[in-house]
Amino acid sequence: MTATTVEPESPPDAQPRSRSGERRPWRVSPLILAFVFVPFAVEAVWVFWPALQGFWLSLTNWDGLSAPKFVGFGNFGDMFSDPIFKTALKNTAIWLVLFGGLSVIGGFGMAMLLQKERRGVGIYRAALFTPVVFSLVVTALIWRVFYQPDGLVDSVLRGIGLESWIHPWLADPDTALYAVILPALWRQIGYVMVLYLAGLKAVDPALYEAARVDGASAWQRTRYVTIPQLKGVNSVVLSVIVIDSLRSFDIVWSMTKGGPYHSSELLSTYMYSTAFQSTQLGYASAIAVVIFILALAVILGYLIRAFREET
Amino acid sequence: MAGLAADRRTFLKGLGVLGAATLIPGCATSTSSPGSGSSTGATGSLSLQSNLSAEQAKAAMEKLVEAYNKTGGATVKLNTVASEIYRTQLPTYLTSANPPDVYTWYAGSVADSYAKKDLLLDITSVWDTMGNYPESMKTLSTSSNGQKIFVPTSYYWWGMFYRKSNFAKWGVTPPKTWDEFIAVCKTIQSKGVPPIGIGLGDTPWVASAWFDYLNIRINGAPFHRDLLAGRGRFDDPKVKAVFTKWQEALPYFDPKGKSFPFQEATSALLGGKTGMFLIGTFFADSAPKDALDDIDFFQFPIIDPAVPVAEEAPTDGYFASKKAKDPEGVKKFLTWAATPEAQNIYVESSSGTAIPANPLGKSADTALVKKGKAMIESAKELTQFFNRDSSDALQPTADAALTKFMDKPDQIDKILKDWQAAAEKVFKA
Repeated sequence: MTATTVEPESPPDAQPRSRSGERRPWRVSPLILAFVFVPFAVEAVWVFWPALQGFWLSLTNWDGLSAPKFVGFGNFGDMFSDPIFKTALKNTAIWLVLFGGLSVIGGFGMAMLLQKERRGVGIYRAALFTPVVFSLVVTALIWRVFYQPDGLVDSVLRGIGLESWIHPWLADPDTALYAVILPALWRQIGYVMVLYLAGLKAVDPALYEAARVDGASAWQRTRYVTIPQLKGVNSVVLSVIVIDSLRSFDIVWSMTKGGPYHSSELLSTYMYSTAFQSTQLGYASAIAVVIFILALAVILGYLIRAFREET
Repeated sequence: MAGLAADRRTFLKGLGVLGAATLIPGCATSTSSPGSGSSTGATGSLSLQSNLSAEQAKAAMEKLVEAYNKTGGATVKLNTVASEIYRTQLPTYLTSANPPDVYTWYAGSVADSYAKKDLLLDITSVWDTMGNYPESMKTLSTSSNGQKIFVPTSYYWWGMFYRKSNFAKWGVTPPKTWDEFIAVCKTIQSKGVPPIGIGLGDTPWVASAWFDYLNIRINGAPFHRDLLAGRGRFDDPKVKAVFTKWQEALPYFDPKGKSFPFQEATSALLGGKTGMFLIGTFFADSAPKDALDDIDFFQFPIIDPAVPVAEEAPTDGYFASKKAKDPEGVKKFLTWAATPEAQNIYVESSSGTAIPANPLGKSADTALVKKGKAMIESAKELTQFFNRDSSDALQPTADAALTKFMDKPDQIDKILKDWQAAAEKVFKA
């Protein structure tokens, strides 16, 4: 039993840390060390090392074939004069607000609507959750068929007499980004709904009962009971949404490849095309670093605020 | 307890093995030395990486490999990868520690860019057996350091394809000059059909054909090649003249063409929903064979008779990795691939519109192919295609500039300025 570290002379209820100078020898079982260091070693090789290498590459110019050329922070400087980067950054912000905001509002709304156990409510919940099980690439393929010239969207518009609205949805720079956000939302709302449904289940019914006795209206119960009780879920949802927004790639790539002429470009798609189509791997790594910093800043910012409120 | 301890030991042992296993590939790849292939012996099998993923082209490659494997050389294993993925993966294949041996790819500047990085096998000895190939093919297959690096197997042509029956129905004949071309467009448009088909949805590079042809017709092939090699500027007034001419044809393009890829644009042409389509003969790989009998083409219209006529004739073939495990086996396969017999197998089994690179090879006996071959042979200059005359890295800059021009032709000056800036970044990388 090498795992035991109790000193024989210490009484069972002793608290060595509280007494100055009295510390028990720091002995950790090799088993625990193995549990820490083996995964750490694997993680170091497959995650930390490539991440550090990515940061190093962001300081170079590299075409993937010759040796990388060190350029310091030159790639980051180039971003300021790169109109495509600016479009991608702006689109990522739009994506974060629209995709993130609407999926939170939609998911919360659906969860509120479907939280009560009624007859057939399971069918509605399942129907809303179904898009989540499709991969985003499949979702993109289905929606591309909807959007194609003379496709479902155009046929519906023609059917209801709105022929003048017919549009090359994915080929028009004014509509491409929004035409891609829609299927992404269609999928995400079900996911967020499930998170909120789980949160709502955890709210103590006695709180509602008490509010009702005090004469609170349905809106007041939502505003002063439900929303504060969902604080914990909100931080999970926010983290998920921010990460999902910044890593959104597959649906945009499958539907527009960031086009037409970069109008629906996100930072993630621009990073990919810069790396693997234009083979500017140094610049692409710099974009990856920016994505990482943005994700970290948004999530840390929120967590610090939430932590402050708690204390 | 004993059982638990045993389970724990087994689990830890498993974990250790797993951890070690994850490290092994890293070690394996890091210990291989570049160029080691040249010293190793024959392995008995070669891997052939192919981007010819269209149904007929893939089947033709399978037949080709089957035929070679019967000759008793090293066994060739074919690995077909979708073309767009292949394009992005090729640098990774070539720089990996254990690359595939032989690759289908393009002659000219694209192949030379890899040769400059010392990634391709010197196959001068293969060329010693290829005495009957024309000088132009030899030049196209020679790297800038004088080594032969490429074996051309077939080439094809680009042209304005149309349905003979539709032209007859609309009462138009193939135009020869730009003015005649615009007149034909007007007539077809008056019949309620968009005259010019295009497919920019997933394949925006199709627009490059328009840029290439207008540039070689207005400014000539040498100017075009210099521009694409970074020796010119995209904001040059001579380049702007290309776009000014293009603007005359813009009202005749199919507006739906920006939403779908060239395969659907092919269907639109075959279905009579568009009048003409500037495309390479590879479009036939995804067209039903019976429809091809009604297909004809005309040469891209002459704009300035003083400019020597150039045509796009992209040449396909093979090159091999410098790290090929069995260089002699690779050379043996490439020597065979250069023969008329091998090239005939491919041409006969594919859509039949490709022309064998070997002058003794037998191209399909159709009027269409004869006409295409004659057009290429009579051309004063040959170009490959935008990315083949420049680089794959420059192609996305053209895609953005050209699709934007087609959408917002009034912004030419800004588009050309942005294109030049994007191109400079590529040349700098």
